[in-house]
Amino acid sequence: MGDSGGAWHLSCTVNGEPVEAEVDPRITLLTFLREHLLLTGTKGACLEGECGSCTVIVDGRPINSCLMLAGQAQGCSIQTIEGIGDDKKLHALQKHFIATGAAQCGYCTPGLIMAAKAMLDANPSPTEQEFTTAIEANICRCTGYESIRQAIRDAYREIHG
Amino acid sequence: MSGRAFGTQTPAAPPREKEHVLPTEAPITPSPFAEKVRGPVGRSCDKIDGVERVTGTKLYGADLIAREADLHAKVVRSEHAHAEVVSIDTKEALRVDGVLAVLTAEDVKGTNRHGLIRRDHPVLAKDRVRYRGDAVAIVVAKTEQAAAAGRDAVKVEYRVLPTVESIEQAMAPGAPHLQPGGNVMGGRRIRKGDADSALADSHVVVSETFRTQTVDHAFLDVEAGVARWDGELLTIRVSGQWVHEEARLVALALGLPVERVRIIQPAAGGAFGGREDISIQIYVGLAALRFAGKTVALRYDRAESMRARHKRHPMRIEYAMGADREGRLTAAKVAIYSDEGAYASTGIAVCRKMSSHATGPYRVPHVRVDVFGVHTNNNPTGAMRGFGATQIAIAYEGMMDRLAAKLGVDRVEFRRANLIRPGDAVTTGQVVPSPTAVECLEAVLRQYGSKSMPSEPLPTHLRRGWGVSVICFGMGYGDGFPDASRARVRIGADGCVEVYSGIVDVGQGAENVIAQVAAEEMGVGLEHTRVITADTHMTPESGSCSATRSTFFAGNAVRLAAGELKEKLLDAAGELLCVHPNELEFRGEEIRGRFDEGLCCSLGELVAAARKRGYELEAEALFKPRTICEDFETGQSPRAFITYMFGAHVSQVLVDVETGEVRVERHVACHDVGRAINPEAVRGQITGGVVQGIGMALMEEVVYRGGRILNPGFTDYILPTVRDVPPVECVVLESNDPLGPYGAKGVGEPPLIGAVPAVLSAIYDATGKAPATLPCNPERVWGMLTGS
Repeated sequence: MGDSGGAWHLSCTVNGEPVEAEVDPRITLLTFLREHLLLTGTKGACLEGECGSCTVIVDGRPINSCLMLAGQAQGCSIQTIEGIGDDKKLHALQKHFIATGAAQCGYCTPGLIMAAKAMLDANPSPTEQEFTTAIEANICRCTGYESIRQAIRDAYREIHG
Repeated sequence: MSGRAFGTQTPAAPPREKEHVLPTEAPITPSPFAEKVRGPVGRSCDKIDGVERVTGTKLYGADLIAREADLHAKVVRSEHAHAEVVSIDTKEALRVDGVLAVLTAEDVKGTNRHGLIRRDHPVLAKDRVRYRGDAVAIVVAKTEQAAAAGRDAVKVEYRVLPTVESIEQAMAPGAPHLQPGGNVMGGRRIRKGDADSALADSHVVVSETFRTQTVDHAFLDVEAGVARWDGELLTIRVSGQWVHEEARLVALALGLPVERVRIIQPAAGGAFGGREDISIQIYVGLAALRFAGKTVALRYDRAESMRARHKRHPMRIEYAMGADREGRLTAAKVAIYSDEGAYASTGIAVCRKMSSHATGPYRVPHVRVDVFGVHTNNNPTGAMRGFGATQIAIAYEGMMDRLAAKLGVDRVEFRRANLIRPGDAVTTGQVVPSPTAVECLEAVLRQYGSKSMPSEPLPTHLRRGWGVSVICFGMGYGDGFPDASRARVRIGADGCVEVYSGIVDVGQGAENVIAQVAAEEMGVGLEHTRVITADTHMTPESGSCSATRSTFFAGNAVRLAAGELKEKLLDAAGELLCVHPNELEFRGEEIRGRFDEGLCCSLGELVAAARKRGYELEAEALFKPRTICEDFETGQSPRAFITYMFGAHVSQVLVDVETGEVRVERHVACHDVGRAINPEAVRGQITGGVVQGIGMALMEEVVYRGGRILNPGFTDYILPTVRDVPPVECVVLESNDPLGPYGAKGVGEPPLIGAVPAVLSAIYDATGKAPATLPCNPERVWGMLTGS
């Protein structure tokens, strides 16, 4: 990362694509993703790391992008909701979030899906506790969580046959 | 699902139907509709925009800002809970690089006021501020950072006035008057029989004072959106709950004809009543008027959202209730003091919901209720899920537990004996059309009893208990207030059924419901319906998304409009087949002769023929059932609400008597929804409502000191996570409302209302102490148990 007149040069990988950008070092990763890359699937809600709506996967780990400065993503590989599936081919989690009614207003959904994906990617045989732990840092104000847990269990079963 | 669009081919991927059942779900209780489900109504269809919501492509207000904003606005807010505004100095702010304008009350060309019932809330305060959320100026700048810097540079000189922090201070002699009429904003009353004499003659009487807390809606999608003025039309895209009313409020405040204000609802990330009062629409509209041709953006952060927005009313409820020797309720005498905050909001309607639900689903012959709405310098209080029926249920259910204990009778038996039955009246004197309180109670007990209590002995610091609640909820506005829904249904150019409704989908699935109703009525598949909602210039007014009315009102309007459209199609078919339309009828996708099977045309052929002849394949309908005003002196009305919903909950808790922590182990909720148009969405509303109820019972509380919110963020405003709640066991009861669309009533608010008293009842059962102050957080429960 170099200094070029107030803005810093950031290189990272977002959804598998290399990204080079000049950014104000004070902005968060959330702002960088939403306002510079227009990846608005990642949502901001509490902006203090309490609700998990802004969760993205950075080098395999679920991260609150509202608490990470864009500069800290230097050299990192970042995955957002846009990178895991689209209307032509949904990720198993996306499919099952629809099927169980786990998305009501949908605002917490991308963060929840990314938190769940980080767990499923890392853990080939999660216990019932681990399904819960995966989303314990996320707040959903609409659904009451059980349909979300069920969607993650169903996605796990689909992925692992 | 059967059926085709008119004259089109089936699209490649129709939405999936499913009969997905969560392991914790109780089966739907025997339904009058069990054999009747053929079309989309009664099926758990996927959310029609589910793919957009799970792929992150659905656009919420803040997403519009990221894509479209040319300019950014920020709001300068009062630094004091109560003060006179002496002067506003904008010079420094205007010197900030990028700042283009600072707007104050002088720049507002209309009434500069808003408010859903009384227009008492200044858009930009001119001479006085009444709470710390009051706005005094708007800064418009090229970037959001510049707007924020400009906001911080506006210098407002205040003369600080004494702060009225509480109901008690507001009613004390000599308290400063916050509104011209004094601090008691108004109230409602019930006078039914002679409560004083009946209490005096009662075998037992129990009294209690309940205190409920200030609650924040805490929807995740904070207020954000854009506006643009093109010289003719001011288009505002901000999430609300009633686009047509928002257009009227913006027009009045800014001095525009209402036709020149267009409100378009972006996706809304929850609402729960929190978008009922206008939020940023007028501010962003005002800024846009100054910069024609530019898209102006405004968004709050969480702290500003909590500081600006109205809240759930905190209340002091003084309740006395009596029973006779046989355990029959005799009388209730209730005084309610409600903290209305600085402005009226919907407070007076909340007061009325309190009075009209004062004795809930119970038969009480003598009732005296006085509700007083009292102004303070806290945030205005208004709509939040339950709308006063939540707070009063805490009180009447708390009284049922206390009275049963004093009488020495079983609390379930005591409820069963006093619940209203067919022919009985509720607090307002209204004889409820189809009371299902008893059925809900029996169903919830059945489900709760289907699993046995854990039998292993508990460690000495833990106590287990279970509690019960039964509640009722009058649906719609009621009280004679005009309550109307309009809808338009047409056959689109591609043969799909297009449904236009002003109703707002705030995430609960209103769009699904109206799509399912239209598809059912028209006999087409859900994939051949297209729903267009919540745009003042595209959709007919459908009233607010509130009062648990969307399914009932918008659903009925859509059903009626679809019926009208079918009549038009029959007329066209008559012409095409050269017979009187009365001789024809719809049969699935075809129109056939009633008496002559040979007469037949497919809907596709009919639509094509009708188009050729220039028929307008469109119909609009109005659904406007009447209610009757409650008498001002007595609060009595034969039809205070159009219909009632009932529900019953059982909650099982573990209380740690050493720390005061309460854990909900099981929660069972049964609701009579009339008919579940989309059962999965109904269960979603029930589980979500229960979790909000557990939040209100155990943890959520906005804490003020001197009119300042001490916890304006999710670090200190505690919300339930997956660790705090059990899987909710839902029992959906269907009773077939005679007026509802396909028998449906609704479900939005009652699940929260039922959940709170059931949790409190369980704490009482576990500890022997009956909570009267909310929330029952560890500190308060520990204090209750230790008497400190």
